[in-house]
Amino acid sequence: MFAVILVPLLPLLAALIVLVGDEASRQQRAKIAAYPIGAAFLGAIVTLWWVATQGPITVRFYDPVSPATLAFPIGFYVDRLSAVMVVLISGVGTIIYTYSIGYMYQDPHDRRYLTLIGFTTSVLLCMVSSANLMMLFLFWQVLSFMLYLLAHNHAHAATLDGAFRTFTLLRVGDIAFLSGIVLAYQLYGTFEFQALFAKAAETPVTLSPWPGFEISGPTAVTLLLFIGGMSKSAQFPLHIWLPRSLYAPTPVHALLHAGIINAGGFLINRLAPLFGLSSTTLHVAFVVGTLTAILGATMMLAQNDIKKTLGFSTIGQMGYMIMECGLGAFSLAVFHLIAHGLFKATVFLNCGNVIHKARQDPESPHADPREEEKEFSPLTWSTGFITTLLIPLLILLATHGVLRIPLLESQGTVIFLFFIWITSSQAILTLTRLRAIASWKVSSAMLLTLLFVVFVYLFAVESFTVFLYPNPDEVASYFQAADLPNWLFDSMVVMATILTVVSWGYLYMRAHGHGRMMWVPGWVEGLRFRLYVIFMNRLYMDELYQALGRSVMRIVHRVDKRDARWTE
Amino acid sequence: MIDPILIPWLVAAVPLLGALLGFVVWSQPEKLKVWSVTVTLVSLLAVLVSFLKLTGTTEGLLFVLLLPLAACVSLLGQPAHEEHRLAWVITLVCLCMGLGILTLPSPIGPIALTLLLALITFLLYWHHDPFWGPSWLGIGTYGLGTLCAGIAAMTGSAIPSLLACVILVPLVPFHYGYVAALTRLPGSLPSFTVLLLPAIGLHRMVTVLPTLSDTMVSVVIVLALSGALYGAIKALAQSRVRLLLAYGSLSFFSVLWWFVAAARTVRPQAAVFLGSVALVTGGLLLAWQVIRTRYGDDVDPRAITGLAAPMPQFAVLTSLLALAAMGLPPFGVFAGLIGLLLTSSLTVSVAPLVVAIAWLAASWYILDLVQRLLFGRKRPDLRYEDVHQSEFASLVMVVVITFALGLAPINLFVGASQPTGARATAESVSWNR
Repeated sequence: MFAVILVPLLPLLAALIVLVGDEASRQQRAKIAAYPIGAAFLGAIVTLWWVATQGPITVRFYDPVSPATLAFPIGFYVDRLSAVMVVLISGVGTIIYTYSIGYMYQDPHDRRYLTLIGFTTSVLLCMVSSANLMMLFLFWQVLSFMLYLLAHNHAHAATLDGAFRTFTLLRVGDIAFLSGIVLAYQLYGTFEFQALFAKAAETPVTLSPWPGFEISGPTAVTLLLFIGGMSKSAQFPLHIWLPRSLYAPTPVHALLHAGIINAGGFLINRLAPLFGLSSTTLHVAFVVGTLTAILGATMMLAQNDIKKTLGFSTIGQMGYMIMECGLGAFSLAVFHLIAHGLFKATVFLNCGNVIHKARQDPESPHADPREEEKEFSPLTWSTGFITTLLIPLLILLATHGVLRIPLLESQGTVIFLFFIWITSSQAILTLTRLRAIASWKVSSAMLLTLLFVVFVYLFAVESFTVFLYPNPDEVASYFQAADLPNWLFDSMVVMATILTVVSWGYLYMRAHGHGRMMWVPGWVEGLRFRLYVIFMNRLYMDELYQALGRSVMRIVHRVDKRDARWTE
Repeated sequence: MIDPILIPWLVAAVPLLGALLGFVVWSQPEKLKVWSVTVTLVSLLAVLVSFLKLTGTTEGLLFVLLLPLAACVSLLGQPAHEEHRLAWVITLVCLCMGLGILTLPSPIGPIALTLLLALITFLLYWHHDPFWGPSWLGIGTYGLGTLCAGIAAMTGSAIPSLLACVILVPLVPFHYGYVAALTRLPGSLPSFTVLLLPAIGLHRMVTVLPTLSDTMVSVVIVLALSGALYGAIKALAQSRVRLLLAYGSLSFFSVLWWFVAAARTVRPQAAVFLGSVALVTGGLLLAWQVIRTRYGDDVDPRAITGLAAPMPQFAVLTSLLALAAMGLPPFGVFAGLIGLLLTSSLTVSVAPLVVAIAWLAASWYILDLVQRLLFGRKRPDLRYEDVHQSEFASLVMVVVITFALGLAPINLFVGASQPTGARATAESVSWNR
């Protein structure tokens, strides 16, 4: 199955077709180049089928016994995880490229742009099908630079500034990644995934960086690699590059949010057996992911720009995905990653149309609170209450009884279910708006849709888990490694329940009296406004980083001046 | 058949002979430039033909190959102007000395080194700037280097040899000579000496390092780590391109010093790293020379923006060089650094952190420099002209060589050594409790 290397090479061919040639045939070449990318997608589907039926494919152009003799040990290892990612990337890449031909029509630099899209797709495909950690890191770094180039409009000062900051921030993650690789090699003497996992599992190593502090080898390695993943997947506090890159052309965002940003999630999943050896790293991932999910989603709610809203939505989703990894639900994270990638690519490719329509039609987007129902409807409120509190119980029982997922043994699944309830009910209720429509038909449709979505999602996730990890013991071991202390777990469940009930109570009281009858202490209202401003300004993280940069440069210039005085 | 003892002499004689014959076409700068480039290519051919018969360390032999190439690109990147004639001829003379130092046995090699340092000191004095303090410090540093190299040639003692090494491969506080050489030497010399002197220094280190006491090694390590930070900080503060490149490469050379001092040996990866850093710095100096040729020697880099669109070839080549200088794959700087990291027995200490900071800072100052030049708004009052054939050839050659250094298996430079994987496993014991 040597032909598997054609999949990443075909987008590269597309890039070359666009790049090389005269000006007269530029448009024609741009259209022709779509075929190799499409062929890569077909090749990816064939690869997925092959891998699913015949097992993993390995192609190496180096001696795996001594890969360090080559700085670039190029090889391809395509298992089910890689094959799924290859299908996602090549599929989204094909759509984005085809879309871009029209989108960038008559742009003076469309040739460079389309070439870069082809090249980036190729780099992404190489990265997800890497045979070893070093090759993964090589393409990981190239991807950082591609993001800089894909900002495209380098004559625009803000774009340029955003691209520069994106690159430098991603380099911070690259350093942590490099440190992780070096440490892994020092400890286990290999870059090969399977050999690395085996050696890490059978060789317990304890590091003592300074007296009185000890850390296990897998924890140290995975923590460093996790920081690398955090930067690419825009995890708090390394997330600020994502909103800053929003000046790039819209198709770039589609590719970024559907492919590039998934790199962190892919890294953790690729190294799942290694991460599974360290409960500490998984717990750190859980905390970072949860924090990012909450902050990302909250910041999203306070944005007033469609691209920024989508950008922060992605940050929240990536946090959610990392949180799933932290819970040991690796296959779930991949499933989420794919679903989010497809969803976000579609939304981004459409957001230009929304902006265009909003400019043409002053009534769009339609939002007039005066048209809402004046009277309080117990029906809509009850629908929400049932959705949030009763259906979850039903799902829990069904999951436990029908799907036979051992809930008591896997905290991750319970927490995941909690998040499904909250997010899906919130999503559906946001779509209809609580007071706008009071109808039995709407309420029934909402409840049934929710039930349908959640059950289909659960079945799909379960099937996907079996596909990705056929050995159930492996899945169980990840869950076990990610287990939180019981008191913490119970507290989280209780807190989530209280928060949900209190939120619905608050909504009820506000809805019942249209906000007039409910007494809210002044400081609560004040706090609400202050928090809104803080989240609208994205927690002032950009300002914080800028201040940090200025401080560094102040020190740098002080040292330089002192040195210059000494030499004169 | 030629006597093998004569081969290094012949290899070194080619550029010297070429330099002497260059005076025949002295009055015609165009022809002199073509002649000088041809001489470097003939030198390269001579090296290739006699490569297997040359004696020396593996590191030295890598540089024997790289030196004619570096001389060739340095000459190609210069405009054919009568002001540069002397620099071209001296480049050939320096190439002769460099090849001699790397291939000829003692005491000829050390004597040639003394002469070379004396020549550089003289050139620095000739082109010195009385109003710029580091210019005098540079002359003093290379003067000290000449003295130390002379003493080392006569006595072979460790401290003068080490001092000569820290001046050749710049180490704080003996870096002023290097900074002055990169900023004050005329024409093709800065982009050539940036490889020549450190390459010779690394070659000398092979014999010096094992003779050093523990205290001296500790001092070198401290200086190396300080130098890595100092170089990065100074590079961040610079607005002048040549100074930025000088301090940036100083930071990377300090990183190299740390590796070799800690290991007390010069691994082939060190040669790849040094060669790549030097070549890339030379390449960026040549790219800056392209700008100076068009907009004057004293041009402020902040005044030149938006070159990417009107000068696409220059932009692409400079971007690739910047990628290499930032330590990104697939170029030699990254390959060398990775090689050094993987073959060293690291411990959790401040040293790897300093290396990481130096590596990160390079992404900052190099990208900032290149971004300023290539991107931003195009100025309507500037005349833009893309690279000429010879400039294009020189920049392409640098990119290709650093690319090749990145891709080449390290076995090419190692010979029959033990597998690196086995060594890494053995050294990992130091991590265990």
